[in-house]
Amino acid sequence: MGSGIGAAALRTARAFLWTALVLLALAALWEGYKALGDATGGRIPGTGLDLPIAADDQAMPHIADIIGALTEPARRGTDTSLAVYLFNEATITFREALLGLAIGSAAGLLLAVGLRESRFASRGVMPWLIASQTVPLVAVAPMVVIWGGKAGMPSWVAVTVLSAYLAFFPVTVSVLRGLNSPQPVHRELMHALAAGRVRTLLLLRFPAALPFLFAGLRLAATASVVGAIVGELSAGTGGGIGRAILTSSYYYSSAPENLYAAVLVAAVTGIVLVQVLRVGESLSLRNRSTAG
Amino acid sequence: MTAPATTTPRGTAAMTATDDAPAISLTDVHKVFPASGGQSVAALERIGLDVRPGAFVSLLGPSGCGKSTLLRIIADLTAPTTGTVTVGGRSAREARLARDYGLVFQQAGLLDWRTVRRNVELPLQVGGVSRAERKAQAETMLDLVRLGDVADRFPWQLSGGMQQRVAIARALACRPQLLLMDEPLGALDEMTREYLQGELLRIWRDTGTTVVFVTHSVSEAVFLSTDIVIMSPRPGRITRRIEVGLPQPRTVEDRTSPAYFETVTEVRKALHAVMAEEPA
Amino acid sequence: MSIAPPAPPARLRGALAAGAPALAVGAAVVLLWQLLVTATGVQSFILPSPTDIFGALLDELPTILRDARVTLAAVLLGMALGGVSGLLGALLLTRLGRISGPLLTVAVILNCAPVVALAPIANNWLGVTSIWSKACVAGLMVFFPVLVNTTRGLRDVDTLHLELMSALAARPRHTLLLVRLPRSLPFFFNGLRLGAAASVIGVIVSEYFGGPSQALGVYIANQAALSRFAETWAGVLAASVMGLALFAVVAGCESRLVPWQRHRHDGDT
Repeated sequence: MGSGIGAAALRTARAFLWTALVLLALAALWEGYKALGDATGGRIPGTGLDLPIAADDQAMPHIADIIGALTEPARRGTDTSLAVYLFNEATITFREALLGLAIGSAAGLLLAVGLRESRFASRGVMPWLIASQTVPLVAVAPMVVIWGGKAGMPSWVAVTVLSAYLAFFPVTVSVLRGLNSPQPVHRELMHALAAGRVRTLLLLRFPAALPFLFAGLRLAATASVVGAIVGELSAGTGGGIGRAILTSSYYYSSAPENLYAAVLVAAVTGIVLVQVLRVGESLSLRNRSTAG
Repeated sequence: MTAPATTTPRGTAAMTATDDAPAISLTDVHKVFPASGGQSVAALERIGLDVRPGAFVSLLGPSGCGKSTLLRIIADLTAPTTGTVTVGGRSAREARLARDYGLVFQQAGLLDWRTVRRNVELPLQVGGVSRAERKAQAETMLDLVRLGDVADRFPWQLSGGMQQRVAIARALACRPQLLLMDEPLGALDEMTREYLQGELLRIWRDTGTTVVFVTHSVSEAVFLSTDIVIMSPRPGRITRRIEVGLPQPRTVEDRTSPAYFETVTEVRKALHAVMAEEPA
Repeated sequence: MSIAPPAPPARLRGALAAGAPALAVGAAVVLLWQLLVTATGVQSFILPSPTDIFGALLDELPTILRDARVTLAAVLLGMALGGVSGLLGALLLTRLGRISGPLLTVAVILNCAPVVALAPIANNWLGVTSIWSKACVAGLMVFFPVLVNTTRGLRDVDTLHLELMSALAARPRHTLLLVRLPRSLPFFFNGLRLGAAASVIGVIVSEYFGGPSQALGVYIANQAALSRFAETWAGVLAASVMGLALFAVVAGCESRLVPWQRHRHDGDT
């Protein structure tokens, strides 16, 4: 058991090491591309064609400048550095996403049970659940914010709702698969023990669905961050990393590094949320031989 | 033994001059597997075996006696630790690269995404045979295993016994001199099994192929084989070789003949002797 | 012993029977929505009624279709880019041997980053009105699921099949073409299906940050800014239909190209 956690920790550490290596390689690629652009005057070597992406400092600031921008003041006339500002905004997003994830997962779990136990629901509702994920959220977000505003709620509530809207789906799909995963021999055992639907659900289907739940939660975590960011983008008010990206994209021409820094922080927010879940997963499934 | 009805150009080359040379020859083969804790396990010890062309040889023994390993060594899927292996007069590796043998596993191992015919074509496709020739050859082989009418079905539309017959047709597609079978009927029910045993004998007679057949069923070995090689476990050794004197061609009636029961008894005794040696 | 495909009329009837509950639920929801809006007298800027939306859709159909075509082109380009690069990436990844595992983990981790956040950067790099900036975002949204799934498929090969190929003295090229690629096809489609709906959303978000004057995302954003909410919803509806249609097309290609997969047991992910 302890060694299982130790092995998991080792795996996580190794994964981070590799991620760092890949990020370093990407950074080298970035700077290499810039160097190539500088050397050839923005053209593909041997031809008169422009590089597909301009390599100047406007389009691709130096990595050092992006990192450096984090230590500069966020705005003229304030003391807070960009890093602190972005961290604060990311915290808002993180909170919205986490709450959205919790609400979305709970809804997703309930839906999965309903879909599993009712044939009509699975036939009648499932197609609409798939359709629900093709709705472009950016477009719906402002209206959800208006609804929230009418009800006298702050904008983060609406953002949380949007985040939950994207988060529930992967949970529903994964858990449904998990609930259906027990083998016939196990189902027949429950049947032979005269266990009813509720007991079969509690004793057999839920435990079997647990690894699937975590797999779904991981997808849902990414989705919830996307939902929160998109919600913030189109909410028109409130804070969060999505607003920070929008603001910095307005001021792109004067301070391009700021946009990159904001996008970087957004990426880190999503990754951190998923990794937090992974730790929870390896703790809950430590007694399973293989995680689904 | 009669020569194969048809031979591929490659086959003819292999058969020249050495017609009475053994189809398979193993000399002093040892196989040691590394085990946990730096130890090693002797899987096969001092294996010497000659198989004459056209023979039907069964490798019989309790589980863990290394009979599958021995087959895999002949097939060059596993290398022996020491010793030499020749197949059709060349090294096992050369024989594999020349596609000199067909191989059938306990699982049919058909490719889900190919029709029955295209599964049988697989070895020919790997060998670079033209499309038209491939199709004709596959159809011949499917007729041989009496599955011509399901050529366009997919494997998952067939029963287990039919899938295994497809696997046999696939193994025969290149018209090999040698057929290596690792418990090919082990996963089938008794009725299907007996039916396919009869079919296998018919195919063996029709093609003149040499067969090496791994099994742990005494009755199956006796009914099918010309020779039975009995192996002992840990380490795997050949303890006896029994020639089966039953007349050819064998029929269902032979399953109830006194000679059949005598041979079964003899083989069973030999097997019991093997088991008695082992410190249980 | 064998499963013959059902005759066309039976299949049609089966499809109708399967679709009936979904249609019933959809109709019930729309009806309830309509009743709710008329009964409570909600203002249209909060929630337009289905009839308003449908009317707006009919009025605006030429514009919406024209704009949707621009968006669809970007989506398709993005899917092609993401699908092909994901497939090539997976082939490359499996060739890398021991480091392919860690690299796949890195891809999974990077996949957790919200790709939509890259939309403004893509706009700055490739041009706000260029189709490439939109396709780039959509492509990234397709790339990761295709890469991760296809790599899993390429590695999820039955050892029996590999032994068979080895017994046939097959070259690595043969094993790739005859065993690994067909085996990974269902996995590839799984990734593509996940990416199909996401790519529409990606392009619309990207257009929200600025796009050509004729594009569905821009149309939706403009109508919302003008407080023409029935038209906004009509645009949203069109975008959803596009996402669903793409999903259906990919699923259709899948069932045609991967017929054996339908007969695999459930829970085999």
